[in-house]
Amino acid sequence: MEKEILTSSRTGDSCIHVKHSSGLDVYICEMNGFSSIEALIGTKYGSVNNIFKNAADSDYTTVPEGIAHFLEHKLFENEDCGVFELYARTGASCNAFTSFDKTCYLFSCSKNYEENLKILLDFVQKPYFTKENVDKEMGIIGQEIKMTNDNPEWRVFFNMLRGMYHAHPIKIDIAGTVESIAQIDADLLYKCYDAFYNLNNMVLSIAGNISADKVLEICDQCLKPSADKGLETVFPEEPAEIVTSEVTEKLPIGASIFQLGYKCTPSEGAQRLKDVAAASTAAALLTDPALPMCERLLNEETINSTFDGEVFYGSDYFTVFFSGESDRPHEVREALIAEIDRLITEGIREKDFQRIKKTAYGAMIRGLNNVEAVSNLMLSAHMDGTGPYDAIEVLSDLTCADVIDYMRREMRPDRSVLSIIEKEA
Amino acid sequence: MIYKRSELGDNIGFSTIIDEKFKTCSLAVFFLTELSNDTAAVNTLATSILTTSSSRYRSYAALSEKLSELYGAGLGSSARKKGDAQILSIRASWLDSRYAIDGEDIGSEMRELIRDCLFSPNAENGAFDEASFAIAKKDLLDRIDGELNQKRSYALAQAAKLAYRGEPAECTGYGSREAALAATPGDAFRAYCQLMKTAQIEIYYVTPREDDSFAEMFRSSFGSSDRQPKSVNMRNHSPLKAEVETVSEEFDVNQCKAVMAFKTDSDDIYALKMLSLIYGEMPFSKLFLNVREKMSLCYYCASHSVSVKGAFFVDCGVERSNIEKAEAEIKAQLNEIRQGNITDMEMEGSLMALDNAVLQIGDTPSSYISWYFDCFCDGDIISPEEHFRRFTEVTRERIVEAANSLKPDSIYLMLNKEVQG
Repeated sequence: MEKEILTSSRTGDSCIHVKHSSGLDVYICEMNGFSSIEALIGTKYGSVNNIFKNAADSDYTTVPEGIAHFLEHKLFENEDCGVFELYARTGASCNAFTSFDKTCYLFSCSKNYEENLKILLDFVQKPYFTKENVDKEMGIIGQEIKMTNDNPEWRVFFNMLRGMYHAHPIKIDIAGTVESIAQIDADLLYKCYDAFYNLNNMVLSIAGNISADKVLEICDQCLKPSADKGLETVFPEEPAEIVTSEVTEKLPIGASIFQLGYKCTPSEGAQRLKDVAAASTAAALLTDPALPMCERLLNEETINSTFDGEVFYGSDYFTVFFSGESDRPHEVREALIAEIDRLITEGIREKDFQRIKKTAYGAMIRGLNNVEAVSNLMLSAHMDGTGPYDAIEVLSDLTCADVIDYMRREMRPDRSVLSIIEKEA
Repeated sequence: MIYKRSELGDNIGFSTIIDEKFKTCSLAVFFLTELSNDTAAVNTLATSILTTSSSRYRSYAALSEKLSELYGAGLGSSARKKGDAQILSIRASWLDSRYAIDGEDIGSEMRELIRDCLFSPNAENGAFDEASFAIAKKDLLDRIDGELNQKRSYALAQAAKLAYRGEPAECTGYGSREAALAATPGDAFRAYCQLMKTAQIEIYYVTPREDDSFAEMFRSSFGSSDRQPKSVNMRNHSPLKAEVETVSEEFDVNQCKAVMAFKTDSDDIYALKMLSLIYGEMPFSKLFLNVREKMSLCYYCASHSVSVKGAFFVDCGVERSNIEKAEAEIKAQLNEIRQGNITDMEMEGSLMALDNAVLQIGDTPSSYISWYFDCFCDGDIISPEEHFRRFTEVTRERIVEAANSLKPDSIYLMLNKEVQG
């Protein structure tokens, strides 16, 4: 078990990476002067991982939509008591979340981190699923699904993904549907747990007021060696083309909202890091209030200051999308298409490019100023197959030509989907 | 960490918090004024415009360009209410200059930029610049229109409006649509002048090292300005309605929302907070364990105390057919506390959670600012440790007393249409 010190040459920040003998990857960042501790343990298992098999299995298993999220809820109960009760005794704040491609369990505290870490490592290795506790969760998750279905930001996003993806499960709601979760039982949960909660598929990230040696000592005590079973997940074949260029829905809301997304080519590891840097820079340029397009849309009151751009990516999916509030989203779409075309043809002013890079650099430094952000960064970078400080290096090497090339290749009008949530009359 | 506060002028406080672990600097300027439906919107517009342009950066585009040159420095405004007061703020944050790749003095540039925005706004002939005003006005109108987009916060806001009817706190912290729509660039400029003259002003500067330059800038900029500050009384207990009032609205939603408002005549803010933790703020609270975990009625069912108004709210998302069942259990769990059924684990868990939270206050510049500003509003500047010590003195009896002081006042229901009748 060797300690690998990862350092950012640009900021001087560093952290420790250890491949623990149990199979778990462990990232530790000691942050002097901070009082709090944030720890996350995550598995590369999210809502998109519905078809899988281990090397020893002859066939793939297909499971109901929403099961990763359901499993997250149920892992909070062990045989003796709920995990919340254990954390109530230490004062830590604990939580969990399931995204498209990962499930994470976390705690935040400023005291008793050793005990809190033991609880975290213990309960994720100790599933306890019964018919009774699975049935009980149906009503709770059913209400969670209904709550998110009333959230227009959630709806506009999923409508955009449904307009973009033909087959990829990214278009399916993370929590599934009331109907899909009704198919879940304790046996299925154990099957998913056994496949995805193998320590070789997981990562622990802890930052703040901690001692690395103490963290590793607790890992030695609590982690049970885990044999790599050769987990494989597959996704249906996804064409490059979109499903439809526009999706509109009416809801009881007060302000109409939109998202315009470009379906881009997915990538992995170092290439993905470059794509993310280029795509993020393009999105920042296109939403920059200092540049003429955005200034004009603001002055014409087509958009307001909520207008923003984001990059969203994971296993076999990648999009750049723009969102905001507007009663005239088609004008935003036309303006974006024209501006991308203009930037490709005329180029990006070096001054603007450097400004946007400085802004991105500033945001990265800010992230290193915050215990929660550092613990999230280490975990996400590992799951993306990169190091926590690699993004700063990639950003510094990024050129105008890289961004223009990205826009030319990936931000094509025929690959764009406009999703609109309109106010009900 | 070093904390020091000085008075720069008549009701203008300047607090410096020095903490060398930070890589950034943060500044917040708070304006405290009376909350009123007549002035809330125009005050919001006035402070919003200050972060949209200035006499030097005369458009939102020019100001945004400068901020991004300064490594994406942040500059923004907010408007909210606390009790019967409106709290307007201008906030800025920027990288400490040691991280500037090209050796820029980011702090000095931000000091000049903030001075320009606050003391030399983009205005002529007694009115703000029309283009900047239009951007701020659209943002505010869209924010007001967008209230319904977030169903839980909309339901809570409607419950507050119902509970505080006829009081200043009935108004939102950013004002009404009608007032925003009617406001002109001249109205907003007059509101700006009025705030600079009459608001209580509290400024917070979080920096990794000793730096008096911001305090000096504010001292010289306020100079001998004609200040006539008005005191703001934010702590006014809301009167209890003679009968519980229920208001419902119907929308085409999937999940109904129920918000129960209680009133209290208790001033025991520490006992009320402990009550809320035990009752409904934590995953070990009675509402979570019973309404959610045992009865599977809700995904969330939570409480919070608004001690400045003597109000206490419980809210949940629930099926229409289960509203009565949920309300009955919410009342039953409150009765449990009234009868003294509070476990050692609930007492200790609440204190442990508070202890952890208090220790984390110094870990972000914004939490430092929130902490010291809240203390200022409470008129009691104490350390987080002293704050926690006061919680440790709260006994079961005080919590029971606080629970018994809660009287049902009003109920807001957001109902779905499909199961009607």
